[in-house]
Amino acid sequence: MLLTATRSEQDPAEGRIPGNKGIWAGILSEMTEFALLFGVYFIARAHFPEDFRAGPLQLSLFAGTLNTILMISGSYFVANAVIAMRQNRPEISLRWLILVLLAACGYFVTKYFEFRWNVGHGVTGRTGIFFTVYYYLTFTHMVHVLWGIMGLLWVMARTKTGAYSPQDHEGMEAFASYWHATDLVWLIIFPLLYLLH
Amino acid sequence: MTHKRLIDLLWLLLVALTLAGSYLGETTKPGLAITLIIALTVAIKGRIIVDHFMELKTANRMIRNLMRAYFYVLPLVIVLTTLFGDWLARLTTL
Repeated sequence: MLLTATRSEQDPAEGRIPGNKGIWAGILSEMTEFALLFGVYFIARAHFPEDFRAGPLQLSLFAGTLNTILMISGSYFVANAVIAMRQNRPEISLRWLILVLLAACGYFVTKYFEFRWNVGHGVTGRTGIFFTVYYYLTFTHMVHVLWGIMGLLWVMARTKTGAYSPQDHEGMEAFASYWHATDLVWLIIFPLLYLLH
Repeated sequence: MTHKRLIDLLWLLLVALTLAGSYLGETTKPGLAITLIIALTVAIKGRIIVDHFMELKTANRMIRNLMRAYFYVLPLVIVLTTLFGDWLARLTTL
């Protein structure tokens, strides 16, 4: 991975691998795992269409929308962190990473209140097949966000200690790619669980 | 347009698409038209993230194609299961 200062505002070089090969093995495994879970969703939906028609109406669309905006914004913040690092502005990069952390914390706070709201309305994993799928998908996604936060804290510490440079910030790019992938998964979960009636 | 400026605009577009999707989800009756819109929105949002946020537009071809394919296949499955749910149920009955 080598980006010169003159390329800092340009699209990355043709044919390169953002981050490293290892993170892409992880990301493609994550996407495969969720593809299987989405397969379960579609099969369950085909067998129990009424449950899947009524289920989303019992969820908080506000919470789902807020979490989508937080995930999208986290993705945007981390993309900016990478751009700032390429411009040799590590302090600015760290500020963007703090915003990623805030978006991630906002995601968990929203999830906490959403689950509490669900239980208050009698919605648990045993309420019906739709909610079993809902909790399974959202909990699995939460676990992946948690891994991402661990990676984020590591990248923040490395940025703070000056470990990255415009020429070498492979670790930050690898984290950014993972965070975008976790955002992508949520961009599928959101319409499947909250919008499709 | 710089890469930075482009992702600023795409972020706003993604937020707008999300809010519009939620508005449609709440105000419209279920049907094939809304399913098509939702599937198309998933495809567009996915492609924006993959190409510009992940920076795969000019990256390694295999990674780019695998990630892009996800957002062709999945929206298609959303539409097909809406149209042929009964068939899928019969196919997956033990």
